[in-house]
Amino acid sequence: MKREMVLNVNGEEHDVEITPDRLLLEALREDVGLTGTKEGCSIGVCGACSVIVDGRLVSACLTLAVTCEGKKIETIEGLARDGELHPLQRSFVQYGGFQCGICTPGQIMAAKALLDHNPTPSADQVKEWMSANLCRCTGYYKILESVMAVVEGKVDEERRDEAVRQARIQSLYQSDTYKSGASD
Amino acid sequence: MKAKFEYLAPASLDEACGLLQEHQGDAKLLAGGTALVMWLRMGLLSPGFVIDLERVPGLDGIDYDPADGLRIGASVKHRDLELCPAVREHYPLLRETFYKVAQPRIRLMATVGGNLSHGDPMTDPGASFMALDAEVTLRSSRGERTLSVEDFFVDYYETALEPDEILTSVRVPPPAGPAWSHVKFTPRSEEDFATVGVAVTMTGEGNRCDDVRIALNSVGPSIFRAHAAEDVLRGRELTPARLEEAGAAAAEASDPIEDVRGSSDYKRELAAVFVRRAVEQAAARLG
Repeated sequence: MKREMVLNVNGEEHDVEITPDRLLLEALREDVGLTGTKEGCSIGVCGACSVIVDGRLVSACLTLAVTCEGKKIETIEGLARDGELHPLQRSFVQYGGFQCGICTPGQIMAAKALLDHNPTPSADQVKEWMSANLCRCTGYYKILESVMAVVEGKVDEERRDEAVRQARIQSLYQSDTYKSGASD
Repeated sequence: MKAKFEYLAPASLDEACGLLQEHQGDAKLLAGGTALVMWLRMGLLSPGFVIDLERVPGLDGIDYDPADGLRIGASVKHRDLELCPAVREHYPLLRETFYKVAQPRIRLMATVGGNLSHGDPMTDPGASFMALDAEVTLRSSRGERTLSVEDFFVDYYETALEPDEILTSVRVPPPAGPAWSHVKFTPRSEEDFATVGVAVTMTGEGNRCDDVRIALNSVGPSIFRAHAAEDVLRGRELTPARLEEAGAAAAEASDPIEDVRGSSDYKRELAAVFVRRAVEQAAARLG
């Protein structure tokens, strides 16, 4: 039987009408309309659906939406403030912490849950914590680098990095003087 | 989701017991959800009622007393137990075991009571509780009883819980001695279920074993204690031959199924090797 209830997502109250078997993942994506939270493995392993409920990181694919009534739900959509990205989001952009991007909302919410409770984790602690979120593109180092950059306060500090990166890209296009089969 | 059910959220243990008795056989208890919700989604369970224990007071908390030992509320999350200072100090076997279950997010969700009540032969905590001679308290509208963890596990996903009973707490006696070990083998990735898991507690001196408890998971229809392997070692010097013999006895007692983690012959062989290693590691901690 459907029941009316209120879900508090990112500080906003949403009226939803759902059956008890509705997953938090489905309620967020289909009833509330926030599709940033992704479905990966559907069995709590991959972490793509990671969201924060009352300060605790959970898999939205293993959480019944009815159990979240009266709780504070945080999703990736709630991180940016007044058009400005959250430091974790900026860091993932700056340090290339993603490629295809499907695991990224989960990666960032997992990292946020850690940093909310422990703003200065060691690299090993970050590694252990982030082991619960799978990524099939980046090979993890860039994800760890992105999280550690926030921990170490390195986000945004270096415009130089960006200049170096741009120069490297430029050089890819400008240094092409080699000709196949040419002998020098 | 394939399952259709009514959701009930009792606010007291008495109310929860009453609801479970009323809908007995047609209700499932919800704690962390990591097992139940997945099974509901897969259509492996289709109860008429899901009773959520989250609002039930009194199921939380970890209390340690040097004389009575550890009392763990059923709703305590794996992660809370793993990080509890008293557990780290006095029950390193539990610390080690829970640290190695799945991954941090699942350990934040999954509860100790839910893990045991699920009766999954593939999970690690039951073996360590068994090696520590822990007991569980089961409550129903009819009353309360305690049972050793060893007697609690009955068969494949089957526990001694009656349909109207709720596991409310686990009690672990003060450790008999400093020697323990926990080893598991995960063939695919670290957070996977184990091919074999072995938990050992031991008392003794030097290389002599006075008493030992050995429990295994993932290599039988339920988590079990390897009594025959213990008998080989109890009151004896731990010679290489005896360790081999104990491993062989544990393998003999195991009855693994063939799955993606290996054939049953392979798992039985692994049980022998890992019991030997676990005993060696525990013995290295003897004073």
